[in-house]
Amino acid sequence: MRIFKIFIVVLLFSFSLTINLKADSEKMALGLEVYNNKAMCGTCHILKAAASEGDIGPNLDSLKPSEEQVKGVVTEGLGVMPAFGEEGLLTSEEIDAVSYYVVNSAGK
Amino acid sequence: MKKKTIKKFDTSKRNFLTGSVTLAGVAVATSVLPISIAKANHEDSDPKGLPDFIKWKNRDAFIVHSKKGIETHRSAIGESLITPNRNIYIRNNMPTMSDTQIGDRNNWKVSIKGVKNPKTFSLAQLKKLGHTTMATILQCSGNGRGFFAHEVRGSQWKTGAAACVVWTGVPMKVVVDACGGVDSDAVFMTSAGIDHEPTGLDPKKAKVERSVPKKVYKDAMLAWEMNGVPLPNAHGGPLRMVTPGYFGINNVKHLGQVAFTKTESTVKYMKSSYRISPIGKKGSQYPSCWEMSVKSWITRPTDETGTAKAGNVQIVGVAMGGTKKVGSVKVSIDGGQSWKKAKFVGPDLGKYAWRQFVFEANLAPGSYNLASKASAGGKTQPELRYENRRGYAHNGWKDHSVNIKVV
Repeated sequence: MRIFKIFIVVLLFSFSLTINLKADSEKMALGLEVYNNKAMCGTCHILKAAASEGDIGPNLDSLKPSEEQVKGVVTEGLGVMPAFGEEGLLTSEEIDAVSYYVVNSAGK
Repeated sequence: MKKKTIKKFDTSKRNFLTGSVTLAGVAVATSVLPISIAKANHEDSDPKGLPDFIKWKNRDAFIVHSKKGIETHRSAIGESLITPNRNIYIRNNMPTMSDTQIGDRNNWKVSIKGVKNPKTFSLAQLKKLGHTTMATILQCSGNGRGFFAHEVRGSQWKTGAAACVVWTGVPMKVVVDACGGVDSDAVFMTSAGIDHEPTGLDPKKAKVERSVPKKVYKDAMLAWEMNGVPLPNAHGGPLRMVTPGYFGINNVKHLGQVAFTKTESTVKYMKSSYRISPIGKKGSQYPSCWEMSVKSWITRPTDETGTAKAGNVQIVGVAMGGTKKVGSVKVSIDGGQSWKKAKFVGPDLGKYAWRQFVFEANLAPGSYNLASKASAGGKTQPELRYENRRGYAHNGWKDHSVNIKVV
């Protein structure tokens, strides 16, 4: 009986793990899509993971911003960087995804 | 069972999915561990240190925030009044123009508009038109942003986005005279750089165009030399506008045009950026980052320079008045409870430069909070910063004070 209980716990654990990883990978996929196509972040930023070599804004691999920092600047803009959120260029889901993507790719 | 297709990543991204598969791994990847300034800047992941375009600078003098935001250490701003070129901070909105993009420097062109006889001058022609030398302070609007308490976007400068520079070039007055004078209905002097052009970005968003009150032209100059050498590309070479007493952004780099206009420029860098607005508010109705205010700070000793030996301590710093001549500066060694007048030392390079000050204190071993407070044109530095959304124009003396240990 005990072995059965352990088995259930392990099964639930790996199930939740799979769910989390699946969410992560979907978010990363959307984030990359936004980065490359909708927002074209690579025009201005360096990010090795996305093979982008833009030279206008900060090098994201060096900067390694936090998710909150990325969300903030993508929403409100800064200097020449557009306010993707405020100007309705990206949805909030897209901003979440690209922020998540950048944070988990920068410097890797 | 439905097969789920996942978009292809390159191999480095795939490592994220297959490498750190544990929940703990994901947690580490998403948290950002704070890195101390010292480690981040002197042992960072980039083994080269400074970006290529400023390799000639003194790496040890800097805190590297990003490739375009490089701050001078508090103690490296210059104890001989002038900040050496090797130590001058970098703050660029656009990528620095390369020699190739600039082309033949003597043939660099600047157009003058909003004058009786609009003209375009080459750098060679400007050099024949007139000659002057002037010392001014170059200071980023955001110098001191790092002290603000609220979450402020932008480079977190403390004191190092400032320098005292001797410029050589032609007075704007002389250029204006050569064009028959300013249009009578002009209200602003609007300068524009051309460094956005190679980027291909929308000029409305990327052009660095700044309007300042027309009167500024009387003391302004077009500079081609910085501290005795041809103006480096990184600092806006071959030609930049120098607006004495006004924040750095107005000293437009890679100058392509000066126009006397009835209204302010409508580009982003004028209309929405560089506005001093209350926290939570923004808009072009708020004042632009124009005249700098009276300000001072101690450059030695600081917690950066290590502990000071008990006995006579020379407390050294810089003091400036913005567009007014700095009149005096006081120093406190007890966190602002009492103040004594400090001495100005060294040459007086005019109201637009800063003065070096020294205060000699006899200090017993212990901890001290040292502060300086300057006065100019009837105004004195306030204790507290003026709270504003983007952390501009900080001149509060309290945040600029330093904690030192005397042993």
